[in-house]
Amino acid sequence: MSTDQNGTDAQEDTHINVADGIDHQVAMVMDLNKCIGCQTCTIACKTLWTEDGGSEYMYWNNVETKPGEGYPRGWEESGGGWQSEEHKERKTGEIPDQEDYGRAWEFNHSEIMYEGSDEPLRPRDGAEWGPNWDEDRGAGEYPNSYYFYLPRICNHCTHPSCVEACPRSALYKREEDGIVLVDQDRCRGYRYCVEGCPYKKVYYNTVSKKSEKCIFCYPRLEGEGPDGETYAPACAEECPPQLRLVGFADDEEGPIYKLIEEYEVALPLHPEFHTQPNVYYIPPYAPPQHTDDGETVDVDRIPRDYLRKLFGDRVDEALDTIERERQIVRQGGESELMEILQDKNPADQYRLEVFEDG
Amino acid sequence: MADRRQLRPVVVGIGLTALVVLAALSVPQAAARPAHEIPVEPATGDFSGPTADGWSDVPQSTVPLSSAPSSVPNANDTTIERVHVQAARGEEQLYLRLQWHDATRDTTTDGPRTFADSVAVQFPVNESARPPIAMGGPTNRVNVWYWSGGTGSEELLAGGAGSTTRMANSTITTNATYQGSGENATWTVQYTRDLDVAGENRTTIPEDEDIDVAFAVWNGSNDERAGQKAVSEWHYFPFSGGPQGPPYAALLWTIAGVAIVSVIAVTAYGIRRTGEGMS
Ligand code: SF4
Ligand code: SF4
Repeated sequence: MSTDQNGTDAQEDTHINVADGIDHQVAMVMDLNKCIGCQTCTIACKTLWTEDGGSEYMYWNNVETKPGEGYPRGWEESGGGWQSEEHKERKTGEIPDQEDYGRAWEFNHSEIMYEGSDEPLRPRDGAEWGPNWDEDRGAGEYPNSYYFYLPRICNHCTHPSCVEACPRSALYKREEDGIVLVDQDRCRGYRYCVEGCPYKKVYYNTVSKKSEKCIFCYPRLEGEGPDGETYAPACAEECPPQLRLVGFADDEEGPIYKLIEEYEVALPLHPEFHTQPNVYYIPPYAPPQHTDDGETVDVDRIPRDYLRKLFGDRVDEALDTIERERQIVRQGGESELMEILQDKNPADQYRLEVFEDG
Repeated sequence: MADRRQLRPVVVGIGLTALVVLAALSVPQAAARPAHEIPVEPATGDFSGPTADGWSDVPQSTVPLSSAPSSVPNANDTTIERVHVQAARGEEQLYLRLQWHDATRDTTTDGPRTFADSVAVQFPVNESARPPIAMGGPTNRVNVWYWSGGTGSEELLAGGAGSTTRMANSTITTNATYQGSGENATWTVQYTRDLDVAGENRTTIPEDEDIDVAFAVWNGSNDERAGQKAVSEWHYFPFSGGPQGPPYAALLWTIAGVAIVSVIAVTAYGIRRTGEGMS
């Protein structure tokens, strides 16, 4: 992994707004054009962190199909976040119902494995909703139907409304890297954080009676593993198409900073919640619509309105920039942006040690 | 005829006075104590549980509750309006019994949206000063005896809102029953604790001083938890042996009675004079 000696000097005049009292801010950029919906990230995270009792229904990382109702169902309308950029007044939120997360299904494993049943493998009963239940359904009419995958983790927001919602200050933002954590000793399971997070990325553990959430794999970042090496979060490292860049938003030499700040093509999800996420997305870029005869027409396949709803009004400019840079490459030119988006060198994708000695 | 009519108000007045005096004498003991005092009976008999026989001889105080001032969402939306409190003191133990109506029995916290019915009793850690009612203050802490239908009992320490800390090795035991149905359904929770327990932040139940006490109740089905709770003001257990029992109330009722009688007498006099003038 590369270490950039200029990293610390450069961040003096950074444009990235790092929260008060936070030295540096971890960040992730996900290129939605590369996600194949394989759920490897979901499973990597699930088996690493949420296999214990009470967390059966929890997915700190989930991948949902858009357009779709998401996980938990209807989270985009569940409230939470801030009224405005001033971060003075929070919006009221709701705790989702168990049914909206989906219940952990029981499968007929024992019948098939031990009792010789030749039934297909399937959930026993009560399988009426679950994470990504509306997989691949999308929207639109043939031949112009469309969908894309949206992987989601906690955004480790610059203005986390989950932190603000807790009357016991059990949630906090780590000083060294801005990771948002739940102090398990302070938490008394009141779940104000669950209703306060507009992304519904804090969960209540029904056995420990405490809230839990994505920890950005901080033990991996800190080299807590057996070999003492530093690793990016498991969802990023395990992703087959390697669509996640991990680093610090305020590392001006890194690709994340360039994508967010210079090219402005990496956008936060639902900026109108005003929590200022530190997970950013390269919006999906779909080919235009076709007529029934297969002729291309100049109409967006994924309606712009829908993308604006997800990523805010800046999505238009971001897609224009991507289109312009693509065109340059198509015509034999060079584009730093396209190079960043296609980089397969892990040393560039995961810049985790830049501020280590700073 | 005229004479009898003139006499009527006076007769009514005397009758009312008699009623007032009777009422004063028949006021039950519990309602007759100074405001905010919760009497403590000597614990003779069986106090082995929330429905044990001993409780039938212990007067019940009705403590009004209102929404706690708090910054949590829906802080004003609470549903329990009163809790009935009984206290009995044995040689070595204090027994408390709290009862309140709650139409739904909420005893689980095992769904993302389920909250359990709960109750808490709050004492100053240091009996000599009265802490702020909302979970005490940093230099004036409170010892809380908490029971929840979902997780049982806990002993807590707090020094201001948001500072609640669970104490290791709780010294309280609790026992609860839920009886009846609908509006009359009632939670009954008994607390038992040694009067004197070891540990720095634990309230010692004094022998010869009053001790402040306050109560809180949460209704789980209304999503009540944390600062969204119905709370009392500070009350006290009169261990100093100070004024107790009926004299105050009886006195007040007598004064009120005399006042009513005087009003009636004056009115009767006025009516008689008017009557005379007319005839
Ligand atoms: S996404 Fe939600 S849980 Fe994560 S930091 Fe932001 S407000 Fe908190
Ligand atoms: S592992 Fe990568 S490609 Fe697969 S669902 Fe997750 S983010 Fe998408």
